Order: sequence, then C-alpha cells, then structure tokens
Amino acid sequence: MRYGPILGAGAMFSLACSWAALVMAPQLQLGSLAPAALPNSTEIYPPARPGLAAQGAEVYRSLGCAQCHTRAVRQTQALYGVRLNELGAPANLVPGGADGKPLNLDLLLALAAVRHVLAIAPVPMPAALAGDTNIAPKFGLFETNRAILLRNDLKSGITRPTSGPTVNELAAKLPATILEKVSVEEGERGVKFLSEAGAKAELTFYNFGPDLDRGWGARRTVAQDYVNDSPVLLGSVRVGPDLAGIGTRAPEKFAAPWKFAGTNTAIELEHRLLVHVYNPRLLAKDSTCPSAKYLFTTNKPAIRPIHATDEPLPFVFPKHEARALVAYLLTLRADVGVADAPVPAAPKAAAAAAPKAPAKP
Amino acid sequence: MTTTQLSSQPACATAPSAAQVEASCRLPVLFLAFSGAAWLCFGAVLALLASVQLYTPAFMEGCPWVTYGRLRPAAVNALAYGFALQTSFALALWLIARLGRVELSAPLGLTIAAKFWNVAVTVGVFGILAGDATGFDLLEFPLYAALPLFASYACLAAWALVTLHQRTERELYVSLWFVVAALLWFPWILSTAQGLLLGWRPTGVVQAIVAGWFGQNLLQLVLTGSALAVLFYFVPKTVNRPLANPGLARAGFWLLLLIGGWGGLAQLAAVPAWIPAVSGAANFLVIVPVLALLTCLWQTAEGKIAEAWKENATFRFLLVAAILLLGVTLRTAFLGGTSTQFTFFAAARTDIVLLGVFGLAALGALHHIVPRLTTGDDELPSAGLADLAFWAALLGVLGVGIGFSLAGFTQAGVNANATKDFLKDGTVVIAGNLKLVTAGYAALTVAALAFLANFGLAVRRCCANCCGGAR
Repeated sequence: MRYGPILGAGAMFSLACSWAALVMAPQLQLGSLAPAALPNSTEIYPPARPGLAAQGAEVYRSLGCAQCHTRAVRQTQALYGVRLNELGAPANLVPGGADGKPLNLDLLLALAAVRHVLAIAPVPMPAALAGDTNIAPKFGLFETNRAILLRNDLKSGITRPTSGPTVNELAAKLPATILEKVSVEEGERGVKFLSEAGAKAELTFYNFGPDLDRGWGARRTVAQDYVNDSPVLLGSVRVGPDLAGIGTRAPEKFAAPWKFAGTNTAIELEHRLLVHVYNPRLLAKDSTCPSAKYLFTTNKPAIRPIHATDEPLPFVFPKHEARALVAYLLTLRADVGVADAPVPAAPKAAAAAAPKAPAKP
Repeated sequence: MTTTQLSSQPACATAPSAAQVEASCRLPVLFLAFSGAAWLCFGAVLALLASVQLYTPAFMEGCPWVTYGRLRPAAVNALAYGFALQTSFALALWLIARLGRVELSAPLGLTIAAKFWNVAVTVGVFGILAGDATGFDLLEFPLYAALPLFASYACLAAWALVTLHQRTERELYVSLWFVVAALLWFPWILSTAQGLLLGWRPTGVVQAIVAGWFGQNLLQLVLTGSALAVLFYFVPKTVNRPLANPGLARAGFWLLLLIGGWGGLAQLAAVPAWIPAVSGAANFLVIVPVLALLTCLWQTAEGKIAEAWKENATFRFLLVAAILLLGVTLRTAFLGGTSTQFTFFAAARTDIVLLGVFGLAALGALHHIVPRLTTGDDELPSAGLADLAFWAALLGVLGVGIGFSLAGFTQAGVNANATKDFLKDGTVVIAGNLKLVTAGYAALTVAALAFLANFGLAVRRCCANCCGGAR
C-alpha cells in the first residue's frame, strides 16, 4: 500500500459500518422510547422520580455504586397460563349445578377442548326444569355436543380418563387455573376458546430464571425501565446483589434476610437501607460493600435518627445525601409488567405484604 | 520494510539519516514514554488499593475519595488514558518517523500537546476521585477533563498525520496501517462517545450501547491495533527476516477493521436481543483476522523464536503479548456470552487487553526505543532491570487475568444457580482469587518501577555522554 488516503478511507468506511450498526441503529430503534401508559391502564411507566430521589441518583453515580451493583434482571424463560375468572353473563348460564349453582354448558365443552387430560361428565337436567322451553333444549344440545366431542377425541387419539377430576369440577370453583406453564400459543388458544364460550378468562404469566428465584425482580428488565435515567448505570459486575427491584424486594430475599416488624413497611425498608449505607456489615457480616459513614453525622439533628444495632452506639443522623441515595434506591422497582415483559399477577396476600411506595419525606 | 526505495517526488528526495530521525523524536517520544510508564505505576497502585477493598471492605474506609466505586474507575481510566493511549502515541510517532524515514514535524508542539494530555488525565483522575465520574466504563472522565483531552489528542494526531504525509519512504508498511487506522479511528469514537454521553445524552439504554461500542473500539482496534503495529515492526526486525506472507497480513488487517468494531456488546442486558447476538457473532468472527495476523508473524519468526527469546528483551515481551492476544480473543469468543455476564471474568478483559496485550507489547517496544533515543544503544543500560520488568509484568498480567477469571467462574456459577447463597458462595469465597489480583497489580507496579529506573539510568548515561556528567 502506497497511498495513505486509500488506507484512511478504508479505515473510515469500516468504522462507519460499525457506527451505523451499533450507534445509529439502536438510536433509531430505541431513541424515541419515553415513559408510556401501561397496557390497559392510565398509569405512566416509568414514573418520574421525585426530587430527592433524582438527587440520590447523582449520589449513586458519584460513589460508583454501579461498579459492584448491576441494575439488570435476566430471565431464562417465559411461560403462560390461563385463569378462569367468571363463568359468564346470565344469558350463558343455566341453573343446575351442584348446590343449585349456575352452569355454563358451553364453557364445559370449551374446557374439555382445552384440557384433553380431564374427563367431561354428563350434566343431568334438574327435573324441575324439564318443562322450561328455554332451558331444556340447552341440556339436549350439550349432550349432543359432548357426544360429538368424545367421538372426535377417539378419532384424534385422545383418551380421557373415565374417573378422576372433570372439567365440571374445575369450573365449579372460581377463579380457577385452567392452564399452567404452557407456550404462548397454547395460552392464547385457551383464552380464545373460553371467551368464545362467554366466560371471562385471562392470560397469566410465569417468568423463570435464577435472578427471579433470588427475588431480585418479577421479570427481566427491558429498555423501557431506563428511559428516566441519565446516565444509565446498568453495571457490569455483580459483587453485590442486583438493584433493579430493590424498592420492592421482599425482606426475606435480602442477602441478610429480615422481617417487617410492623405495618409501615416503607419506613422499615428505608431504615434498613440507611443502615446498609451506614455500614453494611451491621446487617450482613460478610458483606464486602464499603460503608459510607461519611454520609452520616453524629451532631447534626436530622429528620429521623437511626439506631444501627442493639449495642449502645451513639445515634447517627443521615445527611441529605444519604436520604437522597436511599430515596433513589426505593424508586428502583422494575416490577411493573410492560408490553414485551409481563409479570405474573401476585397472589393477593403477597401483594399486601410487599413494601408500598415510600412516603415523600 | 527496509527497502531503500525513495520517492519520486523531488521534495522528498533526500531522506534524513536515522540519527536525524531519532533526534527529532527524542523529546516528544521520550516524554510520552516516561509519562506513560509513570501512569502505569500510578494506575497499578490505584488498582491494587481498589482490589484490596474487594475482600477487606474496611480498608481505607471512611473517606469517599478512596471508596472502591471511585478508586476502580480512576485506576482503569488512569491505565487506559494515562498509560495505554499515551504510550500508543509514543509508539505511533516513533513508528511513523522510523518507517516513513521522516523527521517528526513540530516536536516541540507535540511535547506541549502531550503535556496537556497529561494535565487532562490528571484532572480527570482527580475528578473521578472527587465524585464527578460519568458512570460509563472506560469513559469516566468528567466533561471538564474530557474536552482538553480531545483537544490535545487532536493536536497530537494532526501533527502525526502531517509527519506521515511528509514521509520519504512512500510505501506504507503493515505497522503503519494499524497506526493510521488507530489515529483516524480514535478521534471518531472519542468524539461520538463524548458528544453522546456527556453532551446530547440519548434516552435510556442507548447510552449503555454507545459506551459499550466505544470501549470495544478502544480496546479492540486502537489498543490491540497499536500492539499489532509494534509486533509487525519488531518481530521481523528481531529475527532479521522480511515479513512472510504480506498478503495474509493485508487480509487480516482489513478483516480486523471490518469485524473488530462490532463486538463488545455481547453481555449487555435490557437491550433488544439482536444487539448481543450481533456482537457475539462478531466476537467469534474476529478470531479469523487475529489468527491470520498471528500466523503471519509466526511464519516470519518460525525457527528463530528460542534464539530471539534468549537474546532480545523486546522479543520476550512481544511473544507473550502475541500469546495473550490469541488467548483473550478466544476467551471472549467462547466464554464472552451470557454465561459469564455480570462477573469479573468479563471485567478482566479490559485489564488483559490494557496491561497484557497492549501493555506488554508497549513495554517491549519501549525497551528498544528508549535506549535508541538516549544512549544510542540497542538495549537499556541494566539487563537485570529489564529482566525484572519483563518477569514482573508477565506475572502481574497473569495474576490479574487468572485471578479475575477464576473469581468470574465462581460468580458465574452463583449467578446461574439460585440455590447458592449469593453472599457466601459468590462474594466470600472469591477472596483468595482477588488476592491473586492484588499481587498481580503489585507485580505490575514493580515492572513499571523497574522500567522507570532503567529509563533513568539511560537518561543519566545519555546526559553524561553529552555534557560530561555535568548533571
């Protein structure tokens, strides 16, 4: 090669290729992301950080917390399920179930089509309804359709058990889990069948992965989670636990598990995090996290004193930076389902136990 | 490369003698080399202190300036900008002057620009310690340090390109391809990354993508490219043979340029899946150009390696750097995916490339360049110190690389298995590995000090020769 300009042009061309692919293309794809309304809700996600938490983000960056803590939850698998919530509108229902409960005969057929391993039992028509010209034909039609279904089963090689649980029992107790941990196609097909039968069913979600098992989040983190952050501190090494969902982490999922003592869980979590910032080894003796004692003072009264241990230590008071840092950590709650990363609906009891959003100090 | 073919252009008809070329290089190259080695020493000490905190958290506790979250980025950036990039400028200037048979233009201007570079790095490192780090790997310097850094780089690169333009040896040798690519490439990636991350600030994870792209290009093309430039200059020179198979070198060079800039994002989480996929594929593909280039060097040196290892201090550094280049490429390709995500294994790549691939190659080259520019000999005054620098640097890089990698494997096992206790199984047990890392940084500090002492001896002897020992 004799000509420098050719060399230079070639080098610039190859750089331009990688620049276009890895700087420009991601910007075109993700650059317009903004806080947006959640599916089926008017709530905006992610919500803007209150002032104190926004200042805490600066403390987090300045102290280099991201050198040891990631803010990215991974997920190895996502599966789906179907939950039956309501039998349907009165028009679909017939009386005649056990204990006089209403029945949705179409739903039983749909359930049988969705769950091949369950038997479908005949439904005897109550004698009192024999004269009702609105209801009686429905029972007749159901019996016909059930026969067709069973015949089709034979044709396609499905063998239903003759005894054991039946779809009739499944539909008797609501809400009922119809399908668990299946593919998205199977889940959506199930919801479609049940909805066509007039029932109300919803798709449920199951997320899997070691990070989720550790209680670090309810789903994988996605680009949407970071649109309010600048700089975006994803972190690259986990010397300490992930912080993507620290604001909603259950007490027993901390490195040093603990329990809420009372009902004001937000205050307790805030106090816990303040103690961690003050000296992590007061909570987990093996922690290698450096303490940030310089964010506390012994002589300046603050809003709330913290008492670190049972030992007779002098009270310390968090400085503004410490309160800001903890306020920031409490806003890290990537637990809201978004379009491309749904979360499983928490059981009612667990939802109540999870820490609420912190009160503004 | 040693052909004496002269240019047909009349202005360049008279090539300067080697002594004239070296005289023009003396001030800027020695200044850059000395500052680079001093930053290596300082950065290694900072990294050492930071690594101690990983298993002794109470060490230097109580002062925000020296908390791990600030020390570690300060160390990495001191090593990247103070040592690696600065030394790469010294090597680039020297290679351009030597291979182009041309006197450096504006040596004084280059020295002043280099001084400003050092001032900017110092300000940047103190800025990080004071809490102004940007939070992006390898780009932690705050804006008030980043802008002077870019300005002084622009001066250095402009004069280097002017010198290149004035060369009397028109044929560009392989080493100069890498040098030119790095000279053109670095301002683009630096200005893109600084402009986007410190100025315009795109929304959300695009920031992390840009930072990852910058880091990859810095490590893979600018610094590894500089290491390859050194390898391609010194290997044929040491074994005293022309470069075997230049066609292979050319193919390897262009492929490295085309593929090298695409890796580096394979472990990014929370981004669209195509980005890690593309990067992971590039990490694999880059094996091809690296193998091509190393094969080319191997064919050149084949049969004379043992002899050169015994006789030449520079060659020892270069051989290890070449082996590490192969190692780090394979390591990133096969283990650089999600399995080692969020562990020290991935973080160690920066250290291995900065200190091992580039660091060893650069130290080796300086063991040849510094005596040429001072005493006029081919070797530094003290062979013992040169040996010490080599073995300490080798052990240091191995200590850091192996310590971080083993710790990374343990962390990866914990990351993949939720039944393991994060604190006990993932943090406490890696203390032993991290002590190896500390020892590695200590050895690197020793290596830098040994080289600096040898440097001092050479300068003293040079002064004694010139001024009769007046100093």
